[in-house]
Amino acid sequence: MWVYEKKLQYPVKIKNPNPAMAKIIISQYGGPDGELGASLRYLSQRYSMPYPELKAILTDIGTEELAHLEMIGAMVYQLTRNLTPEEIKEAGMDAYFVDHTTGIYPSSASGVPFTAAYLQSKGDVLTDLHENLAAEQKARTTYDNILRFCDDPDVVEPIRFLRAREIVHYQRFGEGLRIATDNLDSKNFYAFNASFDKGCRKKAQGNNR
Amino acid sequence: MTEKQILMRKIATYDFAIVELNLYLDTHPKDKEAHRKLEEYETKSMALREKYESEYGPIIFRDSPDNRMKWIKNPWPWDLCEED
Repeated sequence: MWVYEKKLQYPVKIKNPNPAMAKIIISQYGGPDGELGASLRYLSQRYSMPYPELKAILTDIGTEELAHLEMIGAMVYQLTRNLTPEEIKEAGMDAYFVDHTTGIYPSSASGVPFTAAYLQSKGDVLTDLHENLAAEQKARTTYDNILRFCDDPDVVEPIRFLRAREIVHYQRFGEGLRIATDNLDSKNFYAFNASFDKGCRKKAQGNNR
Repeated sequence: MTEKQILMRKIATYDFAIVELNLYLDTHPKDKEAHRKLEEYETKSMALREKYESEYGPIIFRDSPDNRMKWIKNPWPWDLCEED
């Protein structure tokens, strides 16, 4: 279960609205490498994880991603305050506006609605951890690309914070992968799926995990 | 920045260290120094949270008629206030 804290993980206080910026940042809300997909990916994968450290890291990173989703929502909300239809049209936000006004809707920068097809929960410890390592890098690239278009420090600072978190999560998943392989036969990590072939796992490990 | 914002930034700073150490300890559970730091920051964050909650309202909701009104009250985390 979860408990809500009435605070953001990192402050978001954007003085100047900028709908063109909102239009690209929304991709980290509901886009292919966004925070919603990240959270669902990790919180869904954790059930089939065979080792306790991996259940812990997926739960805790999946939870942090929800805090990041809230930060992105706050950014898009603040970037789209007090706009006139003219300003919305000029920024190219009219297509979003016609469907959602200035409500926060999970979609990509190009307007594709969020879909669970952005993520995978494969029920195989090695496959899922590799999926997550790739996901963190894809999110990091997206933040790098967002930073190419921003010069407002009120926007740059929280985006840089989120970018740095992708790198830390990548590091932790790398350690998770090492923990997984340390539990497997080093001659063939792929001899069986430790998330599914439970009998094999016990035999191969010879420890009491 | 207002007193309230300064206090919230201090809390967010300790809480960030707590989140970071918590993730680190998931994969390095035997690191005693990290455990010690986590405990230190938790104590510091707790003290500041108590101060913040008594002055500005709950961060985590605990029910009482007085707290209910404070919990509902603006600003919510995504809101910008006059002083921003």
